[in-house]
Amino acid sequence: MGASAATSPPGKLNLRRPLMEACALSVIVLAVTAVSWALRPDRLPLSADPTFYKLELDAPLIATKQAVALYDAGTHLFVDTRPGPIGATPTIPGSVPIRQDSFDDDLLDLFDFITPEDPLILFGDGNLSLASSIAARLKARGYVDLEILSGGLEAWRAAGAPLTGESGP
Amino acid sequence: MMRWVGFGCRLVTGGIFLFACLDKLQKPGAFAAAIDHYHLVPYALLHPMAHGLPILELIVGLALVFGVLRRGAAMLAAVLTVIFIVAIASALVRGLDISCGCFHTDGGHAVGITLLLRDFGLLVLCLPPLFFRDAGPELSHLRKMAAGSNG
Repeated sequence: MGASAATSPPGKLNLRRPLMEACALSVIVLAVTAVSWALRPDRLPLSADPTFYKLELDAPLIATKQAVALYDAGTHLFVDTRPGPIGATPTIPGSVPIRQDSFDDDLLDLFDFITPEDPLILFGDGNLSLASSIAARLKARGYVDLEILSGGLEAWRAAGAPLTGESGP
Repeated sequence: MMRWVGFGCRLVTGGIFLFACLDKLQKPGAFAAAIDHYHLVPYALLHPMAHGLPILELIVGLALVFGVLRRGAAMLAAVLTVIFIVAIASALVRGLDISCGCFHTDGGHAVGITLLLRDFGLLVLCLPPLFFRDAGPELSHLRKMAAGSNG
């Protein structure tokens, strides 16, 4: 088949048909997107929360899988940033509490236990702004190796990682 | 000859769009963050776009590969590529140091001139399936052949 037969006739660029086909495909895309959005368990809320995207964290996020590997290796110390009394709810075994409201007291209690060079992984209930705020305060005290557990304790639990007061899988 | 050029462009473009959608379909949250890094999309549209764009890429890719509504799919692919080029160029002009989010939502290529040239190449590949009357075997051809043999 020659070029003249394969291409549109010169000077007659008819885009009407591709335009109609593009419209048909767009309708299909919209329908599939709506169905997919309705059915997906991990769907995002329809409207994005700007504070989540504007949040600039004071420490990098670490994925749960990676954090569990570091926990198993025993190289990192886990810091529970959740507010409330110590031991009231299950937490990561071996973790230490550093809370916003009692930051100085908690840090003083850990004075002989951790040094600013120790690698720390901060976790909470998934509230990144709280964990980030505590990371900022720790940075100001000279702690340099800080990471925040992405998804917090819920993601940790969902990964089947150990928790105090809960038997393993 | 032109037919096979069109066919090759169709398969390559469709394949690229199919590959591009895979990671985004699995990680809408990470893709929304990647889009947000461009600072171009309003927050009201961020999540619908993070859900819809990979599906658009999937359907355009499938339509190009299988030759269903081929010229419309090529037109959408060209429009999408132009949008990508504008987004990358604007990020370059504003000096944003971000990853493109084209194929991988975490990491991937940093926005730069190479990426821009790659997208211009993709735009060129979209043109033969859009403008050629015949761009190789298509599902619609098979349907017509089947109808012809029945008639």
